Amino acid sequence: MSDLLEARGLSVDHGRRAALQDVSLTLRSGEAVALVGLNGAGKSTLLRVLAGLQAARGEVVVHRSHCHHQPCSAPIAHVGQRSTARWDLPVTVLEAVLTGRHRFRRRGRRFTAADRSAALACLEQLGIAELADRPVGQLSGGQAQRVLLARALAQEPLVLLLDEPLAGLDAPASAALVQTLLELRATGLAVLCALHELDVARAAFPRTLALAQGRLVGDGPSADVLSPLGLERLVCLAPVGA
Amino acid sequence: MTTWLLDPFQADFMVRAGLGVLLLGVAAPLCGCWVVQRRLVYLSDAMSHAVLAGVAGAALVGASLLVGAFVAAVVMALVVAALVLRAGLAEDAAIGVSGQALFAVGLVGVSFQRNDPRALSHVLFGSPLTTTWADVALQAVLAAVVVVASYVLLPVLVATTFDGVHARTVGIRVGLVDTLLVVGLGLVVVIGLTTVGVLMAVSMLVMPAVAARLMASATTRMLGASVALGTSAGVVGLLLSYHLAIPTGPAVALVAAAQVLLAAAARRTPRALQRTVVADLSAHA
Repeated sequence: MSDLLEARGLSVDHGRRAALQDVSLTLRSGEAVALVGLNGAGKSTLLRVLAGLQAARGEVVVHRSHCHHQPCSAPIAHVGQRSTARWDLPVTVLEAVLTGRHRFRRRGRRFTAADRSAALACLEQLGIAELADRPVGQLSGGQAQRVLLARALAQEPLVLLLDEPLAGLDAPASAALVQTLLELRATGLAVLCALHELDVARAAFPRTLALAQGRLVGDGPSADVLSPLGLERLVCLAPVGA
Repeated sequence: MTTWLLDPFQADFMVRAGLGVLLLGVAAPLCGCWVVQRRLVYLSDAMSHAVLAGVAGAALVGASLLVGAFVAAVVMALVVAALVLRAGLAEDAAIGVSGQALFAVGLVGVSFQRNDPRALSHVLFGSPLTTTWADVALQAVLAAVVVVASYVLLPVLVATTFDGVHARTVGIRVGLVDTLLVVGLGLVVVIGLTTVGVLMAVSMLVMPAVAARLMASATTRMLGASVALGTSAGVVGLLLSYHLAIPTGPAVALVAAAQVLLAAAARRTPRALQRTVVADLSAHA
């Protein structure tokens, strides 16, 4: 595996408080990495910075030589928390997934048959092709999460960032989603997934990044980072009341 | 019935007013659907008040009231965008500040009026009698702009309305789309200005869109239904206004409100919760 994404010295200030402090990391092709930390540790901020949604000091480099499609204009896909989407909008699942194809759409034109085929392929990849014509408002939590994942895959990204995708899902839905994420690695996709479920991180993700007070306090095999000693470090560095 | 429907249109002013409400009935719901889905109804209400600044200013310098209203709408769009994007203000706060400030400017402008005050009253509440062919031509151009923009921008409107955060990650300029939507609102208020008035134009933005949302489960169907409801509310309201000798704006708004009530009544609602009966088992003990 080779480095796909490299972040150097990322720092973000929220007023006087440092939301991220000098965070550096690398993601390799075909790698699944868990991102853990208490509430307010900076997990969502880090993902937003990597996705280009939030300004930060530092640098994010995506090695475009790894682009397997042309044009490689959207190498990073970000799946935010489900609450950012308006699920009451009268659109079908396919229409929602097609919104991930905007970079491939010619300005002022509608989506092409090729875009629809690509969006359908993403739904099939996630095992929810039968939901294509269903209004998004009629989805369960697990189905909605898969639709957001399909929308991210429709971007044909190199790096997939997920912000607490298991929140609100029951155990079978969580297990199925994690399995899907791990299977996606076979395509060369790098996955960085913010999680609160430490048992899932330990069991399913070979590598874990740990954040506390905006600082990277752990980066290594999940068994080490999430060992009793590693967890103690996480908790000790956490701000009071977190 | 045919007489009731067609006789009024033998008068020229009713033909012009009829075209005006038809154009408004097409353009307003096309913007209104996105306003309702994005929960920006307050914005349309504030916009209808803000254009008073442009109208009063235009009246003072002897310019076209329609152009004045449009300029005020664009100014409000830019101020809202600047307050949200540059200053990081919440959308409703930015709308409240800019809408009220422009409304206050309008009221000050009205106090300086030396011309016939009825002209301003017509702008606020509409007056089909005063609609000219030049007004209809301008309304047609503005409505065409709204229709074409709605068609071209449909994919980005869906993306930004469904998930604005994600839309940014795929390269959509969400701030620009939001600003264009606010400009569209301004165009709609101007289209409705002479026929139903700026205050009642808001009802044509919101009500057909709400009724259509209750009836349709797909975006394109919602847009189509809202246009059908908007045009029918406009024409029926205009006819009621003619036959009952009541103001056109409120008549159109009342028909649109009736459409919402009918759509809500016709909608299948979940059955009441099953009643839970706690049996008294003590007799079997």
